[in-house]
Amino acid sequence: MANRAAICAVAQIPFESNLWQQRVQGMVFPVVKSIMEQTGVSFGGEKGIQNVVTCSDDVFDARTISDNGVTDEVGAHYQGEEKVAMDGVNAIAYALACILSGHDDVTMVVAHCKESQSEDRNMCTNLAFDPFYCRPVGLDYLNLAAMQARAYMDVSGITDKHLAKVVELSRKNAAENPLAIAREPVSAEEVMKSPMICDPIRDLHVYPVSDGAIAMLIANEDRCREFTDKPVWITGFGNCMDSYFPGDRNLASNFSLKRAAERAYIMAGVTNPEKEFDMAEVHSSYAYQLPMWCEGLGLCGEGNGGEWIDGGGMEKKNVNPSGGPLGGFPIMVGGLAGAAEAVLQLRGEAGKRQIYGAKKALAHGTTGAAGQHHAVMILENK
Amino acid sequence: MSEYYGTTVEDIFKTQNKRFRAEGSEGVDAVFAYDVQGEGGGRWKLTIKDGACATEKLDSDDFGEYSVKITVDAETFVGVTIGKIDGTEAFTAGKLKVDGQIPLMMELPKLFTKYAPPGKEVTAADILATSESRFQPENAEGLDITVGYNLAGDGGGQWTAVIKDGTCKLEEGLRDNLTVCNIVKAKDFVDLMLGKLDPIVAFGAGRLRLVGDMEIAQRLPKIFSKFKSNASEPVEELIMLKKIISVDMKYSTGPTMGKFLNGLKEKKILANVCPKCGRKQLPPRECCAVCRCDVDEFVEVGPEGIVTYCDIIYYASPDPLTGETRETPYGALFVLLDGCKDREALWHLLKKEDLVDVKRGDRVRPVWVENPTGSVYDIIYFEKVR
Repeated sequence: MANRAAICAVAQIPFESNLWQQRVQGMVFPVVKSIMEQTGVSFGGEKGIQNVVTCSDDVFDARTISDNGVTDEVGAHYQGEEKVAMDGVNAIAYALACILSGHDDVTMVVAHCKESQSEDRNMCTNLAFDPFYCRPVGLDYLNLAAMQARAYMDVSGITDKHLAKVVELSRKNAAENPLAIAREPVSAEEVMKSPMICDPIRDLHVYPVSDGAIAMLIANEDRCREFTDKPVWITGFGNCMDSYFPGDRNLASNFSLKRAAERAYIMAGVTNPEKEFDMAEVHSSYAYQLPMWCEGLGLCGEGNGGEWIDGGGMEKKNVNPSGGPLGGFPIMVGGLAGAAEAVLQLRGEAGKRQIYGAKKALAHGTTGAAGQHHAVMILENK
Repeated sequence: MSEYYGTTVEDIFKTQNKRFRAEGSEGVDAVFAYDVQGEGGGRWKLTIKDGACATEKLDSDDFGEYSVKITVDAETFVGVTIGKIDGTEAFTAGKLKVDGQIPLMMELPKLFTKYAPPGKEVTAADILATSESRFQPENAEGLDITVGYNLAGDGGGQWTAVIKDGTCKLEEGLRDNLTVCNIVKAKDFVDLMLGKLDPIVAFGAGRLRLVGDMEIAQRLPKIFSKFKSNASEPVEELIMLKKIISVDMKYSTGPTMGKFLNGLKEKKILANVCPKCGRKQLPPRECCAVCRCDVDEFVEVGPEGIVTYCDIIYYASPDPLTGETRETPYGALFVLLDGCKDREALWHLLKKEDLVDVKRGDRVRPVWVENPTGSVYDIIYFEKVR
């Protein structure tokens, strides 16, 4: 049994808001091809990939069993294939389990989502709720997020001004990321003038409609050097699910995120999250979520989000150097995009965005409405 | 009259007019003919017109004109009606045959409320007959007693439960020197046992009298477990929400599928060819699944070809959004177009007139619409080359 697993390669297509010229399959194959070209990995036989872990969503793909539409493109023809219908960080965790159990020694994770395919992504996320009560009253990810934003702002001292700064800084980072969508800088003033779409969430607080695919190759310690001389080790993982019915939740509490982080930190031996990470990619699809998730992750003091932003916490802690979801990460793919950025940073391949000497990174992904489920992963290059 | 699942075919049709829902019958003008065969069967005709329903029992097998005819045995009919048998399964298994306008069957749940079989009333004798099975020996250790039931009125009678050496036996009649005796009207006894009448209230009002050892009387609820009725109790209404899940979607074809569909516009069938293994893909896809490489080269194949598989569909699923059903029976086929080999088949529909004699190996050709638009339906169907 192997005792460590490493991410050996990452591939991503440039994300777009309306990738009308490709169907989902055409979006997926280039990233799989890139992994094969980068690493020379093969499929089947004793040395090849025997099982592919995919990540996608049925409703966004508008078909049932969304994974079997892309089996040819992900290389799963005549191989094993398993789908994780949650944020992509969980797909890495599934691959980690395949490796640590000894069942596989090399596997690939492939995630895709084409949000632009639907008339309106809020119509898709409305279907995440139960048909008897929550759907008819109009819940979707956006308006439950607004409810959470209000609840969080009341306890954390976060203001409209803070949120504007989060967007300004995220866009500044995204401008340096050639794979991001929203790369034009915006000023905090512009953000504060953007239309209120779901109080207190403004138009520019919301991540852009995003299409894209990502693939990663993951191998055990014995074999990872066949594929790379710069393996990035997965040293910690934890996840946690909060209640399904919104009324059962304390929306401002970060309950499930704290649990997820605690498990990941124990596994990775992290004792002081505020100091130990060189960078973090947090899955903040709405501006308020960036300070809120950072509080839950212990990257800043609890209830301190506002002060932390004012004091330059986001820059000092290198939060979302890729620009994060506010630069454009598709749902499902989001946490995986953050993890991909962490891998590039830990390998020293992040170009203009490179954080010098980065050794330990945190990647976070969330699934469900208003952070119902959180997954936290620790990545290290030593 | 034969009974199935506690009710009869006759019972069901008797309630038909009462269960009719005028509000669900808008635009329906149809005659449903039922030929219910076997013991307890018969023939009925339901005429639905102008928001009214007329139910008629026929003496002969002359149904006259009908829109749809259902032929089924009595047991299956009752089973399906009360939900003990799955209608689709019965249909697939050939136990329920439908002739005529099959889609009308889908209207039935809207036209009639569900049939509820009459509930059977449980009697005092029914309840007491379960005494031995409800006896709890662990709560009757060391007891040597007799418990009498003196029940007056309709459904009443006299019984004695004899409890000794950890066993219980029920006898008819009352023994002498009973340890304790329940004196109560049979109807009240049933209500007490079903939990509809509170024992304290009944005792206080003098409707239940207990004579003898009161200590034993108080232990009776432990000596016998609670009676559970099998009869259908009226249940609270369960609600079914009918909703259409609908989100408008824009499916991009991408360059590969786009090229194939554009080919159809010119009445050409295009396959793409893997540069490594030479395998053709029809319809074309972005990559070769086997070689995991890009596939950019296209060749025209067909238009004629050879049937490799074919079958006949008798029951077509309705389109999920329009509810429209393809006309049945229709034929489907796999065709190996000229220029293709092995497993490079395309699949499409077969001309209805060819259903009678189509077989594997037959030569077929596509029949095109007059003005193709770049859709799968530019080919109406394939027909046999004769």
